[in-house]
Amino acid sequence: MSELAVRLRGLEKRFGRRRALAGVDLDLAGREIVAVVGPDGAGKTTLLRALAGLLEVEAVEARVLGHDLTGDVTEIKRRVGYVPQAFGLHRDLTVGESLRFIAQLHRIPPATAAARAEALLVRTGLRPFVDRPAGALSGGMKQKLAVVSALLPEPALLVLDEPTAGVDVLARREIWALLEAARTHALVVLSTSYVDEAAACDRLVYLESGRVLAAGTPTELGGRVPLALYRVWGDDPRAIAEAARALPYAQGARAAGRCAHVTVWTGRAPEAARIAADLAGLGAGGVRLVEPAPLDMESILLAFAQGLAA
Amino acid sequence: MSAPAILARGLTRRFGTFTAVDALDITVASGTIHAFLGANGSGKSTTIRMLIGLLRPTAGSIVVDGIDVIRHPRRVRDRIGYMGQRVSLYQGLTLRENVEFYAGLYGIAGDELAHRWGALRERFDLGEAEAERPEDLSGGIRQRAGLALATLHRPRLLFLDEPTAGVDLHSRALFWELIQEEAAAGVTVFVTTHFLEEADYCDWVSFIDNGRLIADAPPEELRRRFSPGYRIELALPPSARAAARAALGGAERAVAETADGVCVVSPRLDGALLAAVARLAAAEPGARVRVEQPAMPEIFRRVLAEARA
Repeated sequence: MSELAVRLRGLEKRFGRRRALAGVDLDLAGREIVAVVGPDGAGKTTLLRALAGLLEVEAVEARVLGHDLTGDVTEIKRRVGYVPQAFGLHRDLTVGESLRFIAQLHRIPPATAAARAEALLVRTGLRPFVDRPAGALSGGMKQKLAVVSALLPEPALLVLDEPTAGVDVLARREIWALLEAARTHALVVLSTSYVDEAAACDRLVYLESGRVLAAGTPTELGGRVPLALYRVWGDDPRAIAEAARALPYAQGARAAGRCAHVTVWTGRAPEAARIAADLAGLGAGGVRLVEPAPLDMESILLAFAQGLAA
Repeated sequence: MSAPAILARGLTRRFGTFTAVDALDITVASGTIHAFLGANGSGKSTTIRMLIGLLRPTAGSIVVDGIDVIRHPRRVRDRIGYMGQRVSLYQGLTLRENVEFYAGLYGIAGDELAHRWGALRERFDLGEAEAERPEDLSGGIRQRAGLALATLHRPRLLFLDEPTAGVDLHSRALFWELIQEEAAAGVTVFVTTHFLEEADYCDWVSFIDNGRLIADAPPEELRRRFSPGYRIELALPPSARAAARAALGGAERAVAETADGVCVVSPRLDGALLAAVARLAAAEPGARVRVEQPAMPEIFRRVLAEARA
């Protein structure tokens, strides 16, 4: 059993009077993709910056890659790749120059750096733009370059703050391919506001008011939500959702594409067959088929946001 | 059929040698929610600013609610509500004072304001925020307040530019409920977003990349054209599978037997197919159904890949 990549106990960070992190306890092993999620102002960015060794923090215990976050973080910084929310590249350097600059900072032998850079540039489709200044790249390409730059030193921990926000879907997929490749040798910790990306992570850390409310696999988090999901397919999903909200044991309902997602309180709802019959008999929106479904990531995250999780 | 609420033809905007928006044709039916999707920098905001008369196009025509926006940019403003990426509430004033200020601009006062704002305050759950200043409110509440203000003068059209950017999931879900309620009440909603799954909350989707429209259709039609289709898996005992295959077959559909039942792939999910699946499931006590709806992000990946190829 290898040592935990991250072990935090009572991690705190204050900005003036405000406690951005108010006692974070968290254990993370390596070689996973972990999403830090939670409402606005929960402390996501602060936690990510703390993990990257960029903040002075207080803690009962705070170890990252075996080093103390409250002590000398030089070694942590050397082994962590960090991609900030805002564009953090040198605009005037070309793609190739940016990567050579990073290789020098990290004292990577030029031949090794060149081989790694070549592989990363080919994989991300950035190879044809190697002589273009970073500032002149499109939004998606800039973000790919930021991730490539963080990966070049082959970090043991890769921390990314909303790496795909506002980026086009093709670039998003390429960035994810990089993260999945990085997972084979590193711990990847990121924040994201995209539900499909949260669902694709191995583990989620739900933050609220500077504390970890829950941490676990998507299935484990789903298990803490006292709701069951039914998908109701029919002619007018918005009308179906509206009618379903009136059921006494319905927690919520929303139309998405051709179906309405109806969540019901497991403690309060009758047996599954009864629920299915009630939904089939809604008398609105032309219900055709009722499908009991596993709780989806959106329902799970919404339940946590509404304080419904155990 | 009534006249479109928004009709733009050949809409183009150049900044120097850069073409931000390139010959867009946009038609928005009255009372619908029209999603205008694209990545950051694709031309979404430039387009919306032209549609509401804030920015003059280099070329093209725009008619909003029967008004020629290029000739009469001011006349259109009474008919529309607009909410930008950064909600424009005055800092230093409380939310209530902001409401009074905006109401004054539209000549709403007295009983009419009390009645109108009272209803919005309740629907948008803003009672507790009323005495607060915008800078002290969370992003989600600020967005709701912004939408409430944009609808204060009962506009016939709402233009929302990235209303859900930087807002957490719960606030986003609430926000979409409010938008759907507005549309149900007859308001036309033109909304930009980079959350592609939000296309499923809308009646029509335009997708812009590098200033050009690369898709313009209802979400269902995009699913049909840019995905392998809906996949329905029905777990059934072996004895029931042959009959199920026969019952589910049809034009455009592919039916196959799987390890634990049958599977249908169909480009459309019509009522007849759903009803047939429901009948088969009801006839077998142990039957389980799973319907896979192709996800919007995956569909737009295909749209984008095809457009750039």
